[in-house]
Amino acid sequence: MTSPVPVPRAAAAAGPLGAALPMAGEPAVPFLEIEAIRSKEFLPAAKEALSSLIAEGGQTKVIDPVFNWAGRNSLFPLHWGLACCAIEFAAAFGARWDAERFGVVPRSSPRQCDLMIVNGTVTWKVAHKLITLYEQMPEPKWVIAMGNCATGGGPFRTAYSVVPGVDKLVPVDVYIAGCPPRPEAMLDGILRLEDLIRERKE
Amino acid sequence: MQPADLEAALRPSVGAHLLGTEPFEGTAGRVRFAREGALDVFRAVKDRLGFRHLSMVGGIDWVDHREVFYVVWSDDARQYALLSTDLPAADPHVETASSVWPSANWHERETWELVDIQFDHHPDLRHLLMPDGYAFHPLLRSFKIHEPEDLEVKSRHV
Repeated sequence: MTSPVPVPRAAAAAGPLGAALPMAGEPAVPFLEIEAIRSKEFLPAAKEALSSLIAEGGQTKVIDPVFNWAGRNSLFPLHWGLACCAIEFAAAFGARWDAERFGVVPRSSPRQCDLMIVNGTVTWKVAHKLITLYEQMPEPKWVIAMGNCATGGGPFRTAYSVVPGVDKLVPVDVYIAGCPPRPEAMLDGILRLEDLIRERKE
Repeated sequence: MQPADLEAALRPSVGAHLLGTEPFEGTAGRVRFAREGALDVFRAVKDRLGFRHLSMVGGIDWVDHREVFYVVWSDDARQYALLSTDLPAADPHVETASSVWPSANWHERETWELVDIQFDHHPDLRHLLMPDGYAFHPLLRSFKIHEPEDLEVKSRHV
């Protein structure tokens, strides 16, 4: 693989601000040249290396770690709110806590999600909608019970209308205590879920 | 508007079903009526007295009988009024108010599912707050609070 030939910057060298600065109108990076090299040499080389790796290591050594790494660093939670925990959920994606640092981006369709954060009181009325949404999410998928209500019913545990814990409906991976939990606690729960996914055995 | 004004306006048209009026704090008064004349009372309160807005419908389980109350609002008088009727616990049914005030529809659904009061000729009497098939009327005094472990009972409808 040959290194790209640097573009001479004769005009820039004569500029008043120093030789390193390019002149206006001249691209600082030879973009087209890099693209040409990338398309001709990098992609075939990468394909060849990957295919040989796959042939040697197979599914467990190459594919699964790559998907595991990609999946745990791009958890897409379902963008829905059941009760006041959803306020903290929303705050966690604001400027102050900025959950998108961890690749956590709320999506509005369950088809695009792999994480359901149950943020609030689950009533019997909403129970079968929750199950429907969970079943619409593609595998692999995870569930976080956020707050005391979703964990065990909270103060409404004995109420006639409240499910005593969302784990009675769907399997839960991480429980977050608090009423409501602060956004830091929610982010900690997501990071613990990432640890769980890292240790996951296929 | 005073309870005497309510009585004077209602007595000529629904006199037989009017059981009395009494003062009630914060409102124009409380009108007690017999359930046989419910529809006449609703129409008279709306048309003659000008209470055009039904604010809420509720029910109370007094164990030996049940009570339905209606809170109505008049824009002209800028006052609330209370209408209430007693129902026997063995046969709690009353004519629906939703033909007079359409906003009664959902309030009566809620009253039916929580304290088990039947509203005759209601256009759509089904569950509002609880899922379809829920087997209990949870605000009745006889309702037993189930332990969370009694999931078999509570989740029968899911």
